[in-house]
Amino acid sequence: MINLFEFFLLNGVLMYNDDIIFTDVVIVGAGPAGLSTAICLADEFKKNGLTKRIIVIEKGNAIGAHILSGAIIKPEAFKELLTPEEYEGVPFDGDVTSDATLWLSENGSFALPLHPTCMDNKGNKIASLCQICKYLATLAEKRGVEVYSGFAVNEILYENNKVVGVKTIDTGVNYDGVKQKNYQQGSLVKASLVILAEGTRGTLAKQLKSKFDLRKDSMPQVYSLAIKELWSVPEGNIKEGATYHTFGYPLDEQNEFGGGFVYGLKDNKIALGFAVGLDYKDPSLDPHALMQIWKQHPDIKKFLKDGTLIEFGAKTIPEGGWNSMPKPYTDNVLIVGDSAGLVAMPALKGIHLAVTSGICAAKTAVKALAKNDTSDASLSLYKELIDNSRIFEEMYPYRNFRAVMTQGLYIGAMKFGFQLLTNGTCFFAPKLEHDNTTSLKTADFKGVSFKKRFAKKLTFDKKLTFDKVTSVFYSGTHHDEEQPIHLKVADIKDFTEINMKQYGTTCQYFCPADVYEEHLDKDGNLSLKIHAENCVHCKTCDIKTPNSAITWMTPYGGDGPQYQNM
Amino acid sequence: MTTIISLMKQVPVPSQMRMGEDGLMDRTKAKSMINVDCSYALEAGLQLKNMMGDVRLIVCSMGPPSFEQSLKMAISMGYDEAYLLSDRRLGGSDTYTTGYSIAGMLKHLGFGKGLNEDFIIVAGRQTSDGDTAHVPSQVAENMGIPQATFIEDVEFKDSHIIAKRIIEGGYQVLKLPIPCTLSFTPTGIPPRRPTLGGAIKARNTGVTMFNIDDIHLDDTRVGLSGSPTIVAKVTNIKSERPPVKMSLGNSAEALVADMIKNIKSGKNTLEIAEKKEAKKSDVPEDYEVVDFRDGSSGVLTWAEVAGDKLSRPSLELLTPAVHLARSLGNDTKVKTLLIGSNVQELAKELIYHGSDEVIIVDDERLAEYRILPFASIFEQVIKAHKPEIALFAATTAGRELAPRIGVKTKSGVTADCTALEIGEHKDIKKKVLYKPILESRRPTYGESKLATILGFVCPQMSTARAGTFEVPKKDESRTGTISTFNPKLTQEDFVAEILETHRGESGLASLFEADVIVTGGRGAIADDMKLVKDLAEALNEQGVNAQWASSRPVVDLGVCEYARQIGQTGKTVRPKLYIAVGVSGAIQHVVGMKEADTIVAINKNAKESIFSNADFGIVGEYDDIMPALIKEVKNGFVFGLEKK
Repeated sequence: MINLFEFFLLNGVLMYNDDIIFTDVVIVGAGPAGLSTAICLADEFKKNGLTKRIIVIEKGNAIGAHILSGAIIKPEAFKELLTPEEYEGVPFDGDVTSDATLWLSENGSFALPLHPTCMDNKGNKIASLCQICKYLATLAEKRGVEVYSGFAVNEILYENNKVVGVKTIDTGVNYDGVKQKNYQQGSLVKASLVILAEGTRGTLAKQLKSKFDLRKDSMPQVYSLAIKELWSVPEGNIKEGATYHTFGYPLDEQNEFGGGFVYGLKDNKIALGFAVGLDYKDPSLDPHALMQIWKQHPDIKKFLKDGTLIEFGAKTIPEGGWNSMPKPYTDNVLIVGDSAGLVAMPALKGIHLAVTSGICAAKTAVKALAKNDTSDASLSLYKELIDNSRIFEEMYPYRNFRAVMTQGLYIGAMKFGFQLLTNGTCFFAPKLEHDNTTSLKTADFKGVSFKKRFAKKLTFDKKLTFDKVTSVFYSGTHHDEEQPIHLKVADIKDFTEINMKQYGTTCQYFCPADVYEEHLDKDGNLSLKIHAENCVHCKTCDIKTPNSAITWMTPYGGDGPQYQNM
Repeated sequence: MTTIISLMKQVPVPSQMRMGEDGLMDRTKAKSMINVDCSYALEAGLQLKNMMGDVRLIVCSMGPPSFEQSLKMAISMGYDEAYLLSDRRLGGSDTYTTGYSIAGMLKHLGFGKGLNEDFIIVAGRQTSDGDTAHVPSQVAENMGIPQATFIEDVEFKDSHIIAKRIIEGGYQVLKLPIPCTLSFTPTGIPPRRPTLGGAIKARNTGVTMFNIDDIHLDDTRVGLSGSPTIVAKVTNIKSERPPVKMSLGNSAEALVADMIKNIKSGKNTLEIAEKKEAKKSDVPEDYEVVDFRDGSSGVLTWAEVAGDKLSRPSLELLTPAVHLARSLGNDTKVKTLLIGSNVQELAKELIYHGSDEVIIVDDERLAEYRILPFASIFEQVIKAHKPEIALFAATTAGRELAPRIGVKTKSGVTADCTALEIGEHKDIKKKVLYKPILESRRPTYGESKLATILGFVCPQMSTARAGTFEVPKKDESRTGTISTFNPKLTQEDFVAEILETHRGESGLASLFEADVIVTGGRGAIADDMKLVKDLAEALNEQGVNAQWASSRPVVDLGVCEYARQIGQTGKTVRPKLYIAVGVSGAIQHVVGMKEADTIVAINKNAKESIFSNADFGIVGEYDDIMPALIKEVKNGFVFGLEKK
């Protein structure tokens, strides 16, 4: 029998330099979901006496390089995933020792006397998810899983309208798309089962959901953009294990959803961040600036006194909750973690659910592969397992939380209080809307514009507060300049007319990395400059740009931020 | 089947070397990567394979076991085999012993004269953590094969290598036989990305490790003990800039006039506590004073001829040469070796500039510099004249010639020095005081530290960074000896041919050579940097060597080519004067230019951080200030620089 490789060779599909890789399972993305899937799947194969190949492909230059989270982690899922010895070795930073929620006004604050149990952090761990992923990757490798970092998958391979694998990006193509002398065709990876674990707003998952209409029974996904910084501070600025969550200032609670966090780490480090829901209306709202403004609040500033910034990063969080989950499987594919929208609200925790989804996916996969049936029907077990896991337990009761919060903090909080009594049932819960529909045109926005609101706080001193370009420096972001721009504007003319002239180029504000610049030339012509090399891969532009005018595509593998301890 | 051997070194990632609180590069947190120049060499090897067909590709390195990571990267790019020479006893190797050790490994692998001779060595020009550019030359000399360094582009034609070599202000096309060594600049074809298929191959291919016993190296000739040079001390270079002097005025003309006044009155200065010179050492009684010169005497310099003129750096070289000779006393002579065709007139020029004796080798085959005959002539002259010190300008020629000679004389070389002094060295263990000894000082660790390097074998050899020393005053009344030397040269010395030499106005090296760099940033894109280019042009018209460059946003917009980008992802430059026009001064940019002697910033926004990295500043509109400034330059204002 002729094998597939020879088939391609004979048919001239493969050229001299091509390679094709055959595997049983390919997992796209080495975050907590992908690595948990790999670890559990390797264990399951072993338990069932199966010898199967598992390949994990990660676009970050190293494992963890594109991983960013708060993070406060509920550790139980890790206990399920790992052996007791391995669990002991998980590089958590430490335990949460205190847990305060603060409501901020412009200059003052008051601490909430209590918070709902779903937001309680007793027994939880503070951690750098980068470090945890690095550790999980070594555990996966120990189990025989092949983990490759620095390779970007940008294409799903289909045969007969079914997924049969993925392909890594072609490299050595210049800015204009012309093949260079160092051109390398991407590798084809043929797999019986593809697991998409790309994280928030996964590029392949997005394509797949639309091709197979996996969102038809769910509400739109909505996102927050979280900006995070890591600081080194003098002894005594914060207690190790102390955690603070803030809401209120600088947000307009009636129109903007979000808040900040400050976590005391060991060795006098602080992780802090600010998240804002991308359903805001002000077209000039700048989340990166919000974080800088928030840091100037006396209750936050005191933690950072005489400290230095170590790292910066940004990521979006899918926070629509249970109602926004897509169907997380189809023929030959499972979707896990953030790509499937598995984040528990209002606690905004997704890591333990990512791990749990990995376990559910692995248990599904082993059964399917054992009987050689990876059809949609066979993989429906995945959803059943999810429905009987902590994912359901933690997400279903709060399924309407994010929806009511679109009505502002006060009505939202009241309705949410009611939901707590009714296991989530809510009358008059508004429908979630896509974040790219909520920005108002400049002329339609009647509130005080962002720049006016914070006129006095938008000068950044580069000690406590930073401009975007400086922040990007602290993310270690690098992109090969010789590659097609990975941010695609659908129609440049429409973009200029609608997005720039009518919306005031929202992307120049919401992008935390100064990728987009509005350029006005001497003759008064408006044009968009894209500094793609600054991109920290948060994907806000893909989510928030009105009319979905910008599509985030995967750049070369290894490019992007170089997070160390985010 | 030809084997392409790629020499590769792993280095800390430059972009991760962040500025620490003390203003110095913090490289402790840096991850590792393949040295950039080496990655271009890896690509050149792969390109040669495309041209040559059936080729065996191997990659070799010397260093700790952690280098395995980069060797595997080479495999994932398409290499077949990887070898690593790794041994604690190699610690502290200088470039001389590194060249010796790597050549030893290659011989062990079966390559060399009398062994398999069908091979091409490709290597990076220099490493970002060493910056010497010595090792390729030294490997070539140890292997006894011809070389071409600073190569940008390579071709395989009629069983020969055709290589385009970057020289000052131009390029040269060389034709070399196989075997040969080629070192590559990071300006040719960028390294390809590894493929996933390649990474899987790398995972399944082992890296063969050798220690020095495996390859039968004599352990007294490697590592610290085998190194003819040592790093005697390393001191920090403070690169803090005093506060900027801002111009005052109500119009562009007034602002420019005020800046001219400021420049004339000089920069602000920082109060730096001058360290007291170390006490003159008194020799401890039980120390033995050793003068290792053993009859060697005199300072030998090389007079490089470019076209039909003496190159400026080799005239500059006479400044430290004369200074060293005076410090040594005892009527120590400065001798200069002048190789070329019809160069009698140039000999006088050298004497007028401070040479006591010019040794001429006149041969029409040597009108253009060629490494093999020049190295051989130097070896013979050194044998005959026994200089205690030999100095070369760190030009593209000097940087390959000196290390090749250093292997012949077994003396090692210190690269790219910015200060040369006569001193002494106390060896506490041996209780020996070496005196006198050449102290060669060179910036290192991303220019953040100054290392003092000593050599213990005569001639003590160093190359001096171009532009560091002044050209000595010409004195036409000076007299000296002019002698002729007749070297023995063989056919072998001429196996590498020069097909073409092109010295133009441009060339990528020009940014490094320029005395003034005018850089346009985001604020200068409205007219595609026309005024920036005009300013550079006006300076050139005034006889100042000026070039224009840009910051990253401008390159992104396609207004300027990447080769002219200054900053973290572009080039690091250190001109005498850096004029930043419309540049915001992001850290990424500043790391590429902060070593300029004087920095002038022009920006419409007074808050831009470029002003905290400048000596002189003007706040004003690009369209207004630039024409006013250009006008002043056309009237003869050249920022106090010397006109040529």
